[in-house]
Amino acid sequence: MKRRSYLISSILAAGFGVPSHAQADFIQATSSGSDDPNTSNLLRQFSQDHYVTLASHRSHSSHSSHSSHSSGYGGGGHYSHSSHTSHRSSSGGYYYDPQPVYSSPPPPPSPPVRPTQPVPSVTQSTARPLFGSSNRAPAPPPDGLPALSGRTKRFKSIVQRVEIALLAQDYYSGAIDGSVGPALRSALRKFQKDRGLDVSGTITPGTLDALMISSQ
Amino acid sequence: MIPLVLPAESEALKPFVTRLRADTGERKQSDSILLDMDATGATYAGEEGLIAVDGATATDLNGDIVLVRPEAGRIERLLRAGSDHNTLLVTERCDQLCVMCSQPPKKTHVDRFDLLEEACLLANEGTLIGISGGEPTLYKERLLTMVERVLVARPDLSFHILSNGQHFDRDDVARLRQPLYAKVSWGIPLYAVGAALHDEIVGKAGAFMQLEESFAHLIMAGARVELRTVITQPNMGELPTLACYVTSRLNFVEVWSIMQLEHIGFAKGRWSELYVDHRRHFEPVAEALNHAALHGVRAQLFNFPRCTVPAAYRAFAVASISDWKRKYAAACTGCTEQKSCSGFFEWHPDEHAETCVEPL
Repeated sequence: MKRRSYLISSILAAGFGVPSHAQADFIQATSSGSDDPNTSNLLRQFSQDHYVTLASHRSHSSHSSHSSHSSGYGGGGHYSHSSHTSHRSSSGGYYYDPQPVYSSPPPPPSPPVRPTQPVPSVTQSTARPLFGSSNRAPAPPPDGLPALSGRTKRFKSIVQRVEIALLAQDYYSGAIDGSVGPALRSALRKFQKDRGLDVSGTITPGTLDALMISSQ
Repeated sequence: MIPLVLPAESEALKPFVTRLRADTGERKQSDSILLDMDATGATYAGEEGLIAVDGATATDLNGDIVLVRPEAGRIERLLRAGSDHNTLLVTERCDQLCVMCSQPPKKTHVDRFDLLEEACLLANEGTLIGISGGEPTLYKERLLTMVERVLVARPDLSFHILSNGQHFDRDDVARLRQPLYAKVSWGIPLYAVGAALHDEIVGKAGAFMQLEESFAHLIMAGARVELRTVITQPNMGELPTLACYVTSRLNFVEVWSIMQLEHIGFAKGRWSELYVDHRRHFEPVAEALNHAALHGVRAQLFNFPRCTVPAAYRAFAVASISDWKRKYAAACTGCTEQKSCSGFFEWHPDEHAETCVEPL
């Protein structure tokens, strides 16, 4: 993950993905105020690594997402022409193409590049990961089901951590299935109530903190 | 091209608006903070729970105000933090059917004003928010209510609303005279003087008459209007006549935008019967610009790459195309005026773009 963060940063530093500013609205056109695209975005690029609080959990298994991120899960990967956000003249969207990131993946069998380097995660000092990169089970063998998209993997992985944490504290007794169902919602509500959090039944930042799953 | 809609997974049961954040500043109730990211995207948590987004990095999305639509498995980037080009689409219905319409209307309407209002209230200081459609004033009451509520709470914001100007009447005058409407401008199209041609282009009988009525009400309201004229084969020759009309009857407009055609929607299929190559037929445009300048009406050219405009008129050609749908031709490399140039729409045919530019 660490390596991937750097990859993303360096791609951004190389100029990809940084929104370019330009004046064009008819008001902007006449008063083209300060227009320095560099300063603020650059700061964000270099600061982002520090806030990936779950970074250390992801390591090996995330390789498999390379092959699967755009495969047939759901229907959300395409942009229809009915896009509601689009301007009058839009034809919809366009898929961000993360190809450059894939161009040089670390060879799968070798260990992470800097295994000894401590991950600069806020999690480290304040919350113990529920399971780290070393004791994580290998990815299950292919079972013929469609591969999960990146978003679904990331989503399920966090929900599973919430389920396990709530199970460990006797709030939840359902399956560790990574999906938010009625049982998990009511467990969340009960937990939130007991901890004096806002009772939403959703996985909020405060709830993740209280479950020591992430920490800001 | 910058993607405005991204595939996303959310645990919420209904759509909501939130700001995606990757920084560690104090979290507001409406913020969702970055938890995790990988090569495919980023994951956030906020009051409505988890959101996992694909297809953009946490850096791309940082500060964006998004509409999360769990039922559709998407987020829509309503107000992008790093952009001056943010437009909210309030409806896809329209009561005109312009021959060159870039986003042909639909029959159905989904009311999202409450969510859009929430998004506006979260906007960055001083944002100019575009509103588009369809025809926004088909829902005039909802629209004006939203605009007023937002501007009362956020006097730092301003709106630019694209409208066909068919729905302003006497009763609106007092309302539009309120001081807060100084922060609202209307982009209204007029294609020709006289009902026959204008009505034919907009596909609605009586449209020109109605528009004249509306302009009268807007004048009485002291409204801020940007007049818009798309050039096509049918109306190109009428541009000088239109210029006389604009300078004599409509000289209250803040600016008159003369716009080149966009290769999308209806115009794409009718390109050969609509498109005018202004490099070969610039005279009517020049005449219109001269007349406007002479009579003190500010005019500008939209979607005219600067090198395709005669040097004397180049200053009128502004960088009109929004960042997320703008591209430059390979042949533009090295051009010193790229920053102030419209470039091309993402969907403009490359073979055409490549042959018509010459770097300045």
